Parts: sequence; C-alpha cells; structure tokens
Amino acid sequence: MLVRPCTVTFALSGVFLLLCLEGALAQDTDQATSDGRALFIANQCWQCHGYEGQGGAAVRIAPTLYPFEAFARLVRHTNLMPAYSPNVLSDEQLRQIYEYVRSVPEPPALEDIPELSGS
Amino acid sequence: MTTKDKSAGVSRRQFLSSATAGVAAAALTKPAAAQEGSDQAGAQFAAITPPSAAAEAMEYDVPAGYSAEEAKEYFVRHPGSDFMLDVIKDLELPFITTNPGSSFRGLHESIVNYGGNSQPELLTCPHEEQAIAMAHGYAKVAGGKPIGVLVHGTVGLQHASMAMYNAWCDRVPMVVLGGNHFDATERRSGVEWSHSAQDAARVVRDFTKWDDAPMSLQHFSESMARAYKIATTPPMGPVVVIIDGHLQEADMGSETPTIPGVAPTVPPQGGAAALEEAARWLVEAESPVIVVDLMAHDQDGVDRLIELAEALQAPVVNQAGRMNFPNSHYLSQGSGVVAQADVILGLELYDTWGLLNTLRDRVHRDEQRVARPDARVIDIGVKDLFIKSNYQSFQRYHASDLSIAGDAQETLPSLTEEVRQQMSRARRASNSEREQRWRAAHAQTRARDLDAARYGWGASPVSTARLYMELWQLVKDRDWALVSNDSLQSRWARRLWTIDRHYQHIGRAGGAGLGYGAPSAVGAALAHRAHGRLAINVQRDGDLMYVPGILWTAAHHEIPLLSVTHNNRGYHQEFMHLQRMAARRQRGIDGSSRVGNELDHPAIDFAKVAAGMGVWSEGPITDPNDIRPALIRALDVVDQGEPALVDVICQPR
Repeated sequence: MLVRPCTVTFALSGVFLLLCLEGALAQDTDQATSDGRALFIANQCWQCHGYEGQGGAAVRIAPTLYPFEAFARLVRHTNLMPAYSPNVLSDEQLRQIYEYVRSVPEPPALEDIPELSGS
Repeated sequence: MTTKDKSAGVSRRQFLSSATAGVAAAALTKPAAAQEGSDQAGAQFAAITPPSAAAEAMEYDVPAGYSAEEAKEYFVRHPGSDFMLDVIKDLELPFITTNPGSSFRGLHESIVNYGGNSQPELLTCPHEEQAIAMAHGYAKVAGGKPIGVLVHGTVGLQHASMAMYNAWCDRVPMVVLGGNHFDATERRSGVEWSHSAQDAARVVRDFTKWDDAPMSLQHFSESMARAYKIATTPPMGPVVVIIDGHLQEADMGSETPTIPGVAPTVPPQGGAAALEEAARWLVEAESPVIVVDLMAHDQDGVDRLIELAEALQAPVVNQAGRMNFPNSHYLSQGSGVVAQADVILGLELYDTWGLLNTLRDRVHRDEQRVARPDARVIDIGVKDLFIKSNYQSFQRYHASDLSIAGDAQETLPSLTEEVRQQMSRARRASNSEREQRWRAAHAQTRARDLDAARYGWGASPVSTARLYMELWQLVKDRDWALVSNDSLQSRWARRLWTIDRHYQHIGRAGGAGLGYGAPSAVGAALAHRAHGRLAINVQRDGDLMYVPGILWTAAHHEIPLLSVTHNNRGYHQEFMHLQRMAARRQRGIDGSSRVGNELDHPAIDFAKVAAGMGVWSEGPITDPNDIRPALIRALDVVDQGEPALVDVICQPR
C-alpha cells in the first residue's frame, strides 16, 4: 500500500497527541491522587483508618474496592463513622479522597512477608 | 539498690520473738516468732544466734555520757513501728512501693533498719500514682497476691487516688498504708497540720473495699489482718489503713500486742441448684456462647475454662480483662458469635448490658439489641457481692435470666461436672461437628488477621501490626509476658501472637485512667523477674507522659523490662472524639483537631527521656526496617537485668 507523506505526518501527529494526552491524563491522575492524599490528611481520615488507609480504629479503606457511590454513602450516611456532610467535605473533595484511596497500591503478598507467612 | 545481709540485721527483739519465747512472747496469740510461715523463713530464723551482750547493751543501755532521764528524751527502745513491721511481715508482703513522707518516717526507718529492707523491700517511686499502679501490675501477675504501698494519708492519697480507682474497677488487691497525725496537740506547726486529716481515707473511700484508722498497736495488728483478708477475697480490691505518726514513733513500753494472723477466706462458689439449672440450659442450647472478662486469677482459671468450653464445644469470647483463654485454641472466637447465641454464659462480666446491647454514639443516642431477642443469659460472678454507689463503674443494670453469685474460677469445676453429667449421648455426639465448625472459623479468623497485617507493612510511621510482628520474631521462642494492654493498638498482640498462658497478657487498666500503663508494667515486670520471664511493654506515649518517673524506678531497682513505645504523638482517642463533634456540628476538622490533642511540636524524644532516667534507650525510629536491630540491642540490655526502651513512631492504632 502506498502511503503518502501527509498521511504519515497525520499519523505521527496522532500518536504524538495520544502520548501527550496520556501524559496529561497521568499528570491529572497524579495531581488528583496528590490532592486526595492532602485532603485525606487534612480531614483526619487517617485517625481511624491509618495514614495508608490500612485500618486501625476503623476498617481498612485502601486500596478500596467500593464504587464511588458506595464509598460516598459510607462517608455521608453511615452510623459507623461521623457523617461528613457536603458542608464540610464537598462532592469534589470526596471524589479526590476516593481517588487517593483507590490509588494506594496493594501491599506485598503474604508469602512475600516472612514475618507473616511463617506465623 | 542495696540489700542488707538478713542474718546481720536480726535484732534482739526479733530474736526474742522467734527463739526464746519469753514471758511477753508467750502471751502472744501468734507471736512475732511465728510471723514467717514459709520454710525458707523458718530456716532463716532457725539460724539466728542470740545477740551479743555488747549488742544488747547498745540497744537497751543508757549510752555513755547520758543520764537516764536524758536518754528517755533522746532515745526510743521499742518504737511502735517495729511492731507494725512485724505485722506487715506476717502478711508476707514482699515489697512496699513508696514515695517517702514524714507522716510515716517511723515505719520507714523500721523497714530499712529493723527489717533490713527485706520482705518487704521498699521500692522508691517518684509519684504515689506510680506506687499504686506498680502494686496493681504486680498483683495481676502474682495471682492476686498483693504488695503494700506506703504514702502520706493526705497529699499522698490524693496523688494516689486515680491509680486506686483503676485498681478498684479492675478488682485488684493492694494494702495501702497512709501516714497521718491524729492528735492535734502532738502536731508540729506547718506541714504536720497540712498533712493531717480527721478522716484521711475519705478521699479514696468511694473506690476502696475497706479502710480503718487504728488507735493502738493491737488495733493496727487486727486491722491489717482484716484489711489483707478483705483485699484478697473476691471481689478483690484496694484497702487502706491509716497509720498514726505518734503510734509509729512512741515507745511501746510494756505493751505486748499480738498478731492474729490471716485465715484466708475461701472464695464463694455458685449454689448447686443454680449450677444444675445453668448446666441444663447450656447442654440444651443449640448455640451456647461463653463470654469471659475479669475471671482468671491464675492458670487454673484458664485450664478450668478450657475444660468447660471443650465439654460443650462452645465458643469463648475473651473480653480480656484478664488472660482467660488461649487465643490459639480453636474455641477462641470473636465477639460476633454473641449475636447467634441462644444461651450466653457470662463469667465475671464487667458489663453484661453492654455485651447484649449497644448505645450508638449519635445525636440521639438510641440503643440496639446485639444479641438475639430470645437469648437467655447466665451471669456468674462476684459483682453483686460488693458494690458502692458514687462512681458508676458497675455499668448499666441488666436483669440476667439466671444470676449466680460466686467467684467464677472457683465455680467452674462444679459447673463443668454438671454439664458432663447432664449431656446426653446425642448431644455429645454433636460435639464432633461443632468442633469442626469452630476449627474452621478459628482458622479463617487467623488467616484474615494475617492478611490484614500486610496493609501498611512498609509504612512510616510504622504500622502497629508491623511493630508487634517485629517484636514477635524476637520473643516467640522465649518465656515472655506482655505486661501492657493492646486494646488501643487494634489488639494486634491478641490477633497475631500466640498467647496461651495466663501470665502472658495482663489485661486492661480497669478505670481507663491514664498513667496506669507504664508503672503497672514495671510492677508486673517485678513479679515476672522472680520467674526469669522476659517482660514486654508496648507503651503508649500519652500514658508515659503522666508518669515518666517510673522509668527511673525501673532503673534504680534493676527491674528488667523491654519497653517499646507505640508513639503516635497524641491522645489519639481524643482526636477521634473531637473529629466526631466537629463532623456532627458541620464545622469540619481541617486544622483544628490537633488543638488540645497532639503531643507534638515539639515532638517528645522518649529515648532522651529514658536516658535521663538511667534507662538504656534508642530512637525515635521511623523506618520499620530499623526496628528489629534496635530491639536486639535492647534485649541484650534486658537480659542483663536492666530496663530498656525503644521509641518507635507509629500509626495511630
């Protein structure tokens, strides 16, 4: 198949744009995660759930498997924890916190932690 | 620490008491001669040689250069406090913790010189709250055998009061002696007045089992025996005897008080008919559950509970006021099983209502039943046998279906026997299936706990699970004892360690008053020292800030103890309470939660604090990989008989 130079240029441009878009998305995600962690700290989520969301006085929340709607309901409407209304934590802020707890990586597997796997 | 040679410390009076049985000694109901009941003590006294003529002359003759009248003004031959010490020795209190005070200077001198500072040995505490909490921790390890505490009756008891409240709530015995000056005309101006009271024990009467203020040595002798007996009879608790300064310091003259001795009270057992009924309910139940709290006084209590649980194949929920049941036993289960129970057997429960119900912490507090509506409750314990009105530690009233007054540990053998007798062949046959079910549930819980410990494993601040597992790697093959409570550390010790012996977990404080953890750990370590056990204290930072001076006591008296701080740099529980209030009022918590709650800015350097008290220390540690090497170095110190502290910056829970 004959490929004309303008087509090649167009395709390369597309790839470049895609790469740029991916980079921008990654930056956005990183920023959202970073903002989410800042909100997680500022709103004292860590007091009950730990700095890594690993649990403590309350349950583990990171990495979360909940969809956002369920996560939001637990924060706003459960009796298990103080209800955080939109007046103190907006939907956008809550979403950022959610992005953060979702981004927390899985810890090592049990078999990779000798102190636990040998117990 | 110095200890005098016992054989060199025996005085003429002790010799008379123990060996010669003279006229005065013969008049004693139980002479001081018989005060040491143990074989060891008997051997000690058998080896006593009579004091030399020179020694007698030193003690009784008028010293050279003094007239007889002058000598009467300057010297005392037989101070009352010597007899007081005879009485204390008769009770076999091995230690007396104290912060020194003029209102008991007479007894202080008798202990160190007349008694040679041995059995009891004085232990110096920089605060009375520590002295009490040390006694608290000691008695919990020593199977309810108390030690003494010596304080000012006024300022000392006021300092001591919080720790005594913990001991009261926790049903732990101790004999507290409070100095006082009863006779106003005998008080020197100033301090002796401000350190005297009409009714010195009143300040702690709401949370002591008994107190007295004896007016004579005979009165003191009988009151001490009564106090000891009351303190050590379930429900156990602290007692107070006020000791008059004049009675301590005045010469006994020809007075020949006696020592009545203590006839221990056999703990009460539940009635036979009631136990028969209880056994019937348990055997007939589809899902019986045993819940246990302040029960086991010693390993016998644990062993007896295992027998009952296995006979029924019933799960045991250990609320851990004591170490009641091995966490590695397959019948050890979480509190969730209570919701399924049709018959619940409560053993020495602190809060029966709270076991069955919950009162939610919300704007309008509403209660919800946690247990099945038709669940029947059998309550066995001593809480109805002794109660006081003012402080509300008795918890909310609950009308149990069968309430049996009796010490649960003492009652268990009879109940187990009844269960065995009443169990039908068919019911016994179902035990195999029950056992398989509970083994599976126990294994699942264990797997969940190990999995949960993975999360935050590499975190800094250090995850509390990681802290406990780093410790576990170093102690699991030794004879160890955890002398701190892990309830505010997500129960990681009980979730991850194997805790099989009664002495391996000390339980909780009782009244939840801060300032208990560190000194009770030192007191418990003192009791463990006699058995050569490794005592481990995972120390909360807020608690240690109440009573840091106890570190000095541990160093001074060479009490081996490994302390590892769970340092979350704040009063974490209160952070959460403030957070709840701010959320409820829709004010937000951003930036405000630290006010009044944090122990930071500046961060407290507990390694330096400990070093300043003469305790080997290391930290602060923030990298979890640095913990184990530090612990190894600390254990080297502890193995030499000294305390050591490693400061670890941790996650909140």
